[in-house]
Amino acid sequence: MLNFMKKIQGKEKGQQPESSHLAQGRTSEGQEMSAKPEVSRKILVVSQGETLDTEVMDYAVNLAERLGYDLVALSVNPALGQKGRFFSPYRRHLREKFSQRALAAGEALKRKLAFKGISFEQVVKFGALAQAVAEVNRKTKRIEFVIAPAGIKEEEVTGEIALPVFSISGYQGERTMAKESESRGAKQIGKTVGFGIAAAALYAAVFTNTETVMRYFTKGAWYAALPIATVFIVSFVHGAFANYLWEALGIQAPKRVQPRPTAAKRPVARKRPRPQLRIDT
Amino acid sequence: MHDVAAETIQFIDLNLMNILFLVIVGFIGGLVSGFIGSGGAFVLTPGMMSLGVPGTVAVASNMCHKFPKAMVGAYKRWKYGQVDIKLGLVMAVSAGGGVWLGINIQEKILARWGQAGSNLYVSLSFVVILIVVGGYVFYDAFKTSRSGGGDQVTRLALWLQSINLPPMMHFKTANVRISMWFTIPIGFATGMLAATIAVGGFIGVPGMIYVLGASGLVASASELVIAFVMGFGGTIKWAMHGMVDIRLTLLILAGSLLGVQLGAIGTTYVKEHMIKIVMGSIMLIVAVSRGLAIPKYLKDLDLLTISDSTTKILMTASFISMCFALGVGALIILGSMWRAKRAETAKEAAVALEKSYS
Repeated sequence: MLNFMKKIQGKEKGQQPESSHLAQGRTSEGQEMSAKPEVSRKILVVSQGETLDTEVMDYAVNLAERLGYDLVALSVNPALGQKGRFFSPYRRHLREKFSQRALAAGEALKRKLAFKGISFEQVVKFGALAQAVAEVNRKTKRIEFVIAPAGIKEEEVTGEIALPVFSISGYQGERTMAKESESRGAKQIGKTVGFGIAAAALYAAVFTNTETVMRYFTKGAWYAALPIATVFIVSFVHGAFANYLWEALGIQAPKRVQPRPTAAKRPVARKRPRPQLRIDT
Repeated sequence: MHDVAAETIQFIDLNLMNILFLVIVGFIGGLVSGFIGSGGAFVLTPGMMSLGVPGTVAVASNMCHKFPKAMVGAYKRWKYGQVDIKLGLVMAVSAGGGVWLGINIQEKILARWGQAGSNLYVSLSFVVILIVVGGYVFYDAFKTSRSGGGDQVTRLALWLQSINLPPMMHFKTANVRISMWFTIPIGFATGMLAATIAVGGFIGVPGMIYVLGASGLVASASELVIAFVMGFGGTIKWAMHGMVDIRLTLLILAGSLLGVQLGAIGTTYVKEHMIKIVMGSIMLIVAVSRGLAIPKYLKDLDLLTISDSTTKILMTASFISMCFALGVGALIILGSMWRAKRAETAKEAAVALEKSYS
């Protein structure tokens, strides 16, 4: 059995440069390759930093091995993504540094994975996570699902595209999650109270001086700007208060990605390896 | 011009009851408009008038609260990916034309038949349009909920989309590609209705759904953009005349900014046909309400003879049923949100239980 496994692995290793053949090779070992190269199925592993999260990566590698998938690792740095008016040399320098480190981390993994017969591809991107995932998804064919460390929300990862996302929470992940939500809760209540006080102050300011306010606000002509500016300010302050109030009360949109009604994002019919009859000779 | 307005307009004194009324109706109206894209105005304007606010001030103050509310609602729903800004803006441009025509017609009727004629015209438009459109919306929602399936694009929309009449426009979020010429009548009708009965969305949202082929979710969200643009334009006009009573506006806003966000959150919980159910129910009840008011206006025009007490009862019934319409809408929204939330919590609990076993 062990020998047999090795044989398969060896065979796959031999095909390493043509990673696109891998899946086909696995599904129909001992059989002739179809004339059209089949693109292998892939798992996209997302990370927001130069190093790849070991727990997430371990899980992804195991899964890829078991399912016969390939891996694509995506390191995204959102902070360096904003395009200012000037693209500063310093930011370029930071980007280069980030890419170098990320690729170095990936290189070690790639060698390790080559032994297991899993092809590994690494992409470094800057900017919003969802956009980076969308770009990779467009370029790389047959990404079946995404694995992300806990703490990254699903909608942050996929945005508009329909890809299943799995969060891996090792004990480290859980710890950061717990800490984050705790501080976020406190922050939210703080914001609710802050905006609440500000809104109350605005209302108090108007209603304790109604006479003056009404005299000027109803003068018409250019004084029209007064009521309009007032409602804009109120809608910002009181609107923010209302937003945080509902959130603090636990009433917010469910975590699942909102059904963006742009249907049929991936209308292309996928080719799946079909079971074929063969004569065992 | 504004001097005249300042002289003739009396701004009312506020007491606790008035304040509570405005805040609560503001909240419910906001809830409904966050959910279906418009609404609330049809209760607020007559409601304020019954508090003694002069008609023009009521309309102006209502409009001044409408655009910030629509802005906040639109922003919230934009974050959920439901707003097609381009569709909203394109519709808003033609709606501007509609508003202009609507006001002109109103003025002509006012000059010819007086206030009663104008009221009759408004009520008749309410009844006819709301029964026809509201009836269809309700029927469609009922059909969808029975079949249990998702929304389907109407055959009319598919046919219009297939006509290649340049300039063609592509609305990304709505996922619709249609000639600009077909958006114009819908926008125009929205504007005309807004100028006539203050709620353009009763035409705009069904129009976007059934004629252009957008989903209920996108249509109701994009309606908020139209409401913002129209409300902003209208407010500038009214404020230049010094008609906006900022106290009334702020009180309504106090409730409606809370409501509109709750309504927007609500759309993410419920099935899509709920939007149509809420809209259809409100439209039909409002139609009945305005129907009850018609005898009074006919009497004012000497076309009908009924006793004063009867008209009084009818008018009260009309106003109560209008509030009832809004209340029913709010109840359906809150009820379906509650159910959806409970179902989700139960599901989460089940998943957690399963996990703990494994």
